[in-house]
Amino acid sequence: MKLDPSILARIQFAFTVSFHIIFPTMSIGLASFLAVIEALWLKTKNPTYLQIYRFWLNIFAMGFGIGVVTGIVLSFEFGLGFARFAQMAGPAIGPLIALEVLTAFFLEAGFLGIMLFGFNRVGPKLHFVATCMVAVGTLLSASWILSANSWMQTPAGVAIHDGQLTVVNWLHVLMNPSWPYRLPHMLTAAYLTASFMVAGVGAWYLLRGKHQDFARRTVALGTAFATVLIAGQVFIGDIVYGTMLKYQPSKMQAAEGFWEKQSQSPAPYYWFIIPDQKNQRNRFALGTPVLGSIWLTHSLKGRVEGLKNTPRELQPRMALVFFAFRIMYCLAMLMFAVGVASLWLRFRGTLFKSRLFLWMLVFMTPSGIIATLAGWYVAETGRQPWVIYGLLKTVDAVSPVPAQALLATLIAFVCVYAVFITAFLVFTFRIIRRGPVEATAYAEASGSIKNAFRPYVLDSPKRLADNQFWERS
Amino acid sequence: MKTSNVLRRVCGVTAALIGVLFFFVIVGVFGLPLAIAGLAVFVLGAVVVFRAFPSERAEL
Repeated sequence: MKLDPSILARIQFAFTVSFHIIFPTMSIGLASFLAVIEALWLKTKNPTYLQIYRFWLNIFAMGFGIGVVTGIVLSFEFGLGFARFAQMAGPAIGPLIALEVLTAFFLEAGFLGIMLFGFNRVGPKLHFVATCMVAVGTLLSASWILSANSWMQTPAGVAIHDGQLTVVNWLHVLMNPSWPYRLPHMLTAAYLTASFMVAGVGAWYLLRGKHQDFARRTVALGTAFATVLIAGQVFIGDIVYGTMLKYQPSKMQAAEGFWEKQSQSPAPYYWFIIPDQKNQRNRFALGTPVLGSIWLTHSLKGRVEGLKNTPRELQPRMALVFFAFRIMYCLAMLMFAVGVASLWLRFRGTLFKSRLFLWMLVFMTPSGIIATLAGWYVAETGRQPWVIYGLLKTVDAVSPVPAQALLATLIAFVCVYAVFITAFLVFTFRIIRRGPVEATAYAEASGSIKNAFRPYVLDSPKRLADNQFWERS
Repeated sequence: MKTSNVLRRVCGVTAALIGVLFFFVIVGVFGLPLAIAGLAVFVLGAVVVFRAFPSERAEL
């Protein structure tokens, strides 16, 4: 069997980046959630908030660690698997990735130490500042990375002379046309991910009749955040849709499952199709009449453009883009329904009593992660066959690396990442099964960085008790 | 069927329909200005419900 290096390089990158994105999504969402929880603890001195903080801090720390390690791999893959891409795009996205490390990662890494190990060494306010700095760091990190990826989607601010790309306007590279919309879309997705994770774990405890105070507060907070966020997300999502329709029409044509240059009027909204890319038609389509016109053209009789508007050799694979988009969109609708239901149950005072709703929350625990992954599949598979839209095709970006080397490293990545995910899941489930540990309502340390390393702080009796806490958790 | 059950179901269906209406408004079916207004109303309404019914305290 002859192995195609370009296919193997793409599979390898798709696998490693799909694995990676799960963890930053959780980290971004959980970091801000932890900042909110610590602020509530400082304000109310209610020990339950400290319990919630410490419980989710453990899971955040594990996710952060795996996110960092798997992120480093991607930088190397640019050079090793996609050298021609790195050579061409380097002048534009190289500095963005470097700035991500310098401004965001250093900030996160520095304050993460205080966040994880500083509870007994610095005061509560300084610890809160550390948590906020980590949350800001994750935001900055997402901002730089989204800027680099959005530049690949909608390149701007560059000129090409003799095949060499030169930056002519840094501001245009940084704030390329899709970045202002894709950044809030991704950040909201991360916050939604954390909200549903938190609410789902709380719902599980309520169903099991355990850790009632902890569970009620996390369900109340998680559903409150999720309700507001999902409303914002569908609003932003519609704007992202319009932006991508303008700059990458082929992606959205594929996402909606229409082939003809103009659909019938009124257009249906397809929920399921079996596309036939070769014959440029759908073998089977299941949809709701008129809804396509209403949702996609915002009119009752509007026609939707199909993929035949894009030359065949420049079309993305419809099946991948369509199903990824449907998974994301259907999950968003489900999240919206859960948000509305939570408002209704809250109004009736039965938010913690409806077992059906609590089971729904448990079922929705990984929904944010799945929706985010699906969204990234829409973004990346919909851009094909381009790696830099309109400038460089993916097939031309691959390094002249032997297929065997790519296959061997792909197998190695699968094995190593299987260990990572197994370890993450085993420890996360262990933390959830054990549940939150009792916490005190007050801060143990002396309160300032000046005093942080003084012996009476390090050797305080409280510290001994807390060390036992850390060992237990 | 008891009247209270019927009333409860009617209220449930009404709430779901309001939710669907808000979804349509927020995704821009009626234009961007109404989408922004719909989003603001939904978020403000949600905040009002959170504040009026602080379930994490009330049911403890």
